[in-house]
Amino acid sequence: MPTSFIPTAADLLRLSPDIVLTAGGALMMVIEPLTGAARKARMAAIAVLLIAAAMALSVMAYSDPGTSFSGMLVVDGFSTFFRILVYGCGLLTVLMSVDYFKRERGSESGEYYALIVFSLVGQSLMASANELVLLFIGLEISSIAGYIMAGYLRDDKRNNESALKYFLLGSFATAFMLYGVAWIYGLTGSTNLDTVRRAILGGAMEQSGQMLMIATALMFVGFAFKISAAPFHVWAPDVYQGAPAPVAAFLSAGAKAAAFAMLVRVAASAFFPLSAKWEMLLWATALATMIVGNFAALRQSNIKRMLAYSSVAHAGYILVAVTAHSEVGIAAVMFYLASYVLMTIGVFAVVTLVASKGERFVEIDDFSGLVQRQPMLAIALTIFLFSLIGIPLTGGFFAKFYVFKAALDSNLTWLTILGLLNSAAAAFYYLRVLVVMYMKPAAEGAGPVDPAGIGIKAAIVASAVGTLYLGVYPSAVLDFAGKAAQLVK
Amino acid sequence: MLDTMFFYMFALLAVAGAILTITMRSAVHCAISLIASLAGVAGLYLLQKAEFLFAVQLVLYIGGIMVLFLFVIMLVNLDSAAKERQFHRRWAGGAVAAVLAGASALWLLSKGAPSFGSPVAQAAPSPDGNVEQLADLLFRQYLVPFELASLLLLVAIVGSVLMAKKRTS
Amino acid sequence: MGDNLLSLILCTPLIGVLVLLFIPGTMKNAIRWWANISAVAGFLVSLPLIMNFDKSLDGYQFVERINWIPALGVQYLIGVDGISVLMVMLTTFMGMLAIFSSWDSINDKVKEYYAMFLLQQVGMIGVFISLDFMLFYVFWELVLVPMYFIIGVWGGPRKLYAAIKFFLYTLAGGVLMLLGIITLYLQHIAQTGVATFEITQLMNTQMPMWMEQLVFWSFFLGFAIKVPMFPFHTWLPDAHTEAPTAGSVILAAVLLKMGTYGFIRFSLPLLPNASADRTIVNVLVVLSLIGIIYGALVSLMQQDWKKLVAYSSVSHLGFCTLGIFALNEQGIAGSVIQQINHGISTGMLFLIVGVIYERRHTREIKEYGGLAHVMPNYAVVFAFAMLSSAGLPLLNGFIGEFTILQAAFQANMAWGAFAVTGVIFGAAYLLWLYQRTMLGEVTNEKNKGLKDLNWKEWVVFVPLMAWAIAIGVYPKPYFDILEKPVAAIVERVNGPKAPVNAAVIELKKTEAR
Repeated sequence: MPTSFIPTAADLLRLSPDIVLTAGGALMMVIEPLTGAARKARMAAIAVLLIAAAMALSVMAYSDPGTSFSGMLVVDGFSTFFRILVYGCGLLTVLMSVDYFKRERGSESGEYYALIVFSLVGQSLMASANELVLLFIGLEISSIAGYIMAGYLRDDKRNNESALKYFLLGSFATAFMLYGVAWIYGLTGSTNLDTVRRAILGGAMEQSGQMLMIATALMFVGFAFKISAAPFHVWAPDVYQGAPAPVAAFLSAGAKAAAFAMLVRVAASAFFPLSAKWEMLLWATALATMIVGNFAALRQSNIKRMLAYSSVAHAGYILVAVTAHSEVGIAAVMFYLASYVLMTIGVFAVVTLVASKGERFVEIDDFSGLVQRQPMLAIALTIFLFSLIGIPLTGGFFAKFYVFKAALDSNLTWLTILGLLNSAAAAFYYLRVLVVMYMKPAAEGAGPVDPAGIGIKAAIVASAVGTLYLGVYPSAVLDFAGKAAQLVK
Repeated sequence: MLDTMFFYMFALLAVAGAILTITMRSAVHCAISLIASLAGVAGLYLLQKAEFLFAVQLVLYIGGIMVLFLFVIMLVNLDSAAKERQFHRRWAGGAVAAVLAGASALWLLSKGAPSFGSPVAQAAPSPDGNVEQLADLLFRQYLVPFELASLLLLVAIVGSVLMAKKRTS
Repeated sequence: MGDNLLSLILCTPLIGVLVLLFIPGTMKNAIRWWANISAVAGFLVSLPLIMNFDKSLDGYQFVERINWIPALGVQYLIGVDGISVLMVMLTTFMGMLAIFSSWDSINDKVKEYYAMFLLQQVGMIGVFISLDFMLFYVFWELVLVPMYFIIGVWGGPRKLYAAIKFFLYTLAGGVLMLLGIITLYLQHIAQTGVATFEITQLMNTQMPMWMEQLVFWSFFLGFAIKVPMFPFHTWLPDAHTEAPTAGSVILAAVLLKMGTYGFIRFSLPLLPNASADRTIVNVLVVLSLIGIIYGALVSLMQQDWKKLVAYSSVSHLGFCTLGIFALNEQGIAGSVIQQINHGISTGMLFLIVGVIYERRHTREIKEYGGLAHVMPNYAVVFAFAMLSSAGLPLLNGFIGEFTILQAAFQANMAWGAFAVTGVIFGAAYLLWLYQRTMLGEVTNEKNKGLKDLNWKEWVVFVPLMAWAIAIGVYPKPYFDILEKPVAAIVERVNGPKAPVNAAVIELKKTEAR
């Protein structure tokens, strides 16, 4: 075994964002008890610095792409893209959480920010792992941190329910995935994605086709749970509704993006030779996910629940691009997730503000007359909702366009037609929010929206600017995604 | 021949222990059944010539974790839980699902049995010995996952402390 | 200014919006002044376009090209030919009048209202000048947003229903059109290796017939919902009835024309084989004829003044699509002219409903009667609009309808025969409406003290009446400007045919009689 015990400088650089975040998170745990109760917001500042450093390091690491730690980890355009994306998502979540916890007095503690940082390590590993065991560990770090964050307000019954459901179902799903990984190891003798691919190309397919399919199916169950694809989506509405709004944002944006990165990497590298066999299953899953998400969202009156179903539907659109199993498809997944993350975080940040202390105002009707009460907030929410619908000059439009272009490119005509119809039908429930916001007078009980702190303002402005940027000038991100998609194979 | 006999014995122990773990009413009985099941798995490891794993299984799972479990169960009086309604009321559906899953697994194994004969999967015992080989893998090839597993544990500990600690306000 | 004239036309309303944002919402009159100044400026900057347009040239003029998204081959590519020049002029002109007409009627959220209206102008101008299919689509979808708010916020009692229906219908049509656009685009890449949405390049794409037909139907859904053609028209009466007056005017005068324009600019030249396919032509013509007759019959039945005008739009736009799918030069030229005419006359009819609605706040026809005694000037203007809409010779409506009927007869006797009945029904419902509302004795006490037209209303009506007469008396410039582009389209679809001037000569003969 040629691997040296001492890692090289390149090895370390490629892992450096994760190292910084791990060490920084541990440091936060150490100084947390030393900070006074009134100064917990400082922990947020530390988290912001750490995440910014990790972003910078991942850009630096990209200057010298390659694998590290004997093929365990790979730094390429794809992983760098998703690293930046999940870090950005974490950054925005930290920013909006400061306000949230200021409101929910007495529940803030430094562990929350440390958990976000740890969770980012997991998500970053999911994006960059080239090895099923590491992938699994990354997934578990991210998930366990997520379970705890979902139930962070322990005195809140909804938080508890949310955390417990997420934990039970999530553990079940990861068990499936781990079982699948074990099968893959048994069949191919390796858990390294490149080796598995070679083994499949080199005859494992002929020798044990059915067992390989079962193994990938088991893994797919785990992935499908994490991306909330139908029929493994049932946890999403309960968890998003119950969890604190910033956590719901984090779970539906960052965690989902990382899960898609993991799914795409595995599907496009190790199991690419099998992709034709999987097309039908992915096709059906994508369609079912879009339909279930959209039609369930139509009937919701709670906005967090509606957004949960909408995020299920968006997972369906992204799965359409995954079904295309082409480079264009991968680039479409990347672009879609970039704009999806921005608009989702933005919407949840607005919901966080409107919901007020104890999240009292989370019905769609509570948004009535928002344009009079908080015009700037209403405009920001309008941008996000239009992006979710897919109106031009917002990121959501080019995202959908790119996804369906990729699908048509791979001759998925019917899936494209059904997907497009779905996206038109979806406009209805987003429009409902716009309708109450602009066209109905404010309800009697609706108090003034609390003044927004600097953090959440920054988060909303950044998401809105990002959404518009992707809609007006998508070239930069599209070009990068196009190049990065070629590196996956 | 003797190997096969031992295999079925340990397998029976593992499966029967697992079934008892989820069907027994008293928490103490459950924990003891789980110990039996884990012991069965340890035996299977031994049959695979993984002596180190066998030892770890015995020392850590049975000796450490399960004894801690028993301590906790006996410290917090869970007798009342035994009298409450149990979760396994839908045992019929569960049984059908289990039988179906078992049958399909059996069918697959019989279909795909030849593929398990591949040389990679069945590594010959190394002259270095089991422990050295494992250490080599863990500290060279799997260094990163090994280190990050500790982060996983840290997150889990932080979580459980957060969940369990008393609210100050 | 010469090189970037089109961008200037596009941006003028946008600059207006940006300045508007900095005017405090409480200064309502300042907002109104500024919005009107922007709209007038929007019209004035579009005047050099028609003055400097050279109708003897083939192809597009005032072309501007900037790479927008190189990765996809999307360009900011704008330019005009004879057809789009007329549509741009219609947009800036009607926009100006519609904005002026809302001076007194909109008192709530004034700033937002004018901002939406000006944004709408940007979107519509963009639709008519885009030479890049993707850019066109972007503007096409963008137009939805301001109109949705105009109906939903400033509309009538059932505004929410109408706004959502409008949005969902047209969005559904739009996304299905996107399917066709992408198919065409991918087919072009497969053949040439060049990723582009430039329509002149996409014209070179060869497609098997089934694919061309598929793309045609996908475009059809997008355009037909917008026009709207029977049976996709159901959103229109709701939207028209609930929208504020100026919204209805713009909706009828310009927004619906995006659909017919789409057929002329995209369906015919990009998919000539499918467009000339007998089955497709028959289906479209039959739908147009149903639209003409059905729209007219339903208009006859209406109790609601505004709804009557709305259904008459369905009938008139049936003429426009019929003209297009007669697939000859008179038909298409007549259709474009009829689109302008419909903008003028239906715009006037909606303004007339708006005038009385301002005074009485009801649109029930039976509430009125004998208004000619109370409001003589109003009755004169209404008579003018009615005759223009019904197609009286020497007024604009006649030119369009006559040319289209001529084209229809030329293509197929039966089509022409059916379409003629639409003209008769059209005269019937308009005259009956006039009789019920204007003539006779004043039966309702509430109508006794109504004030006649004020100067602001006159300012809106006079230019429209002048334009209507101008087209009716001397239509030659319009046929001239349309000659080249229409000939090019017809040649693409059918091969070369007689020049469009033949129609003009015959028209002149008719007028001389």
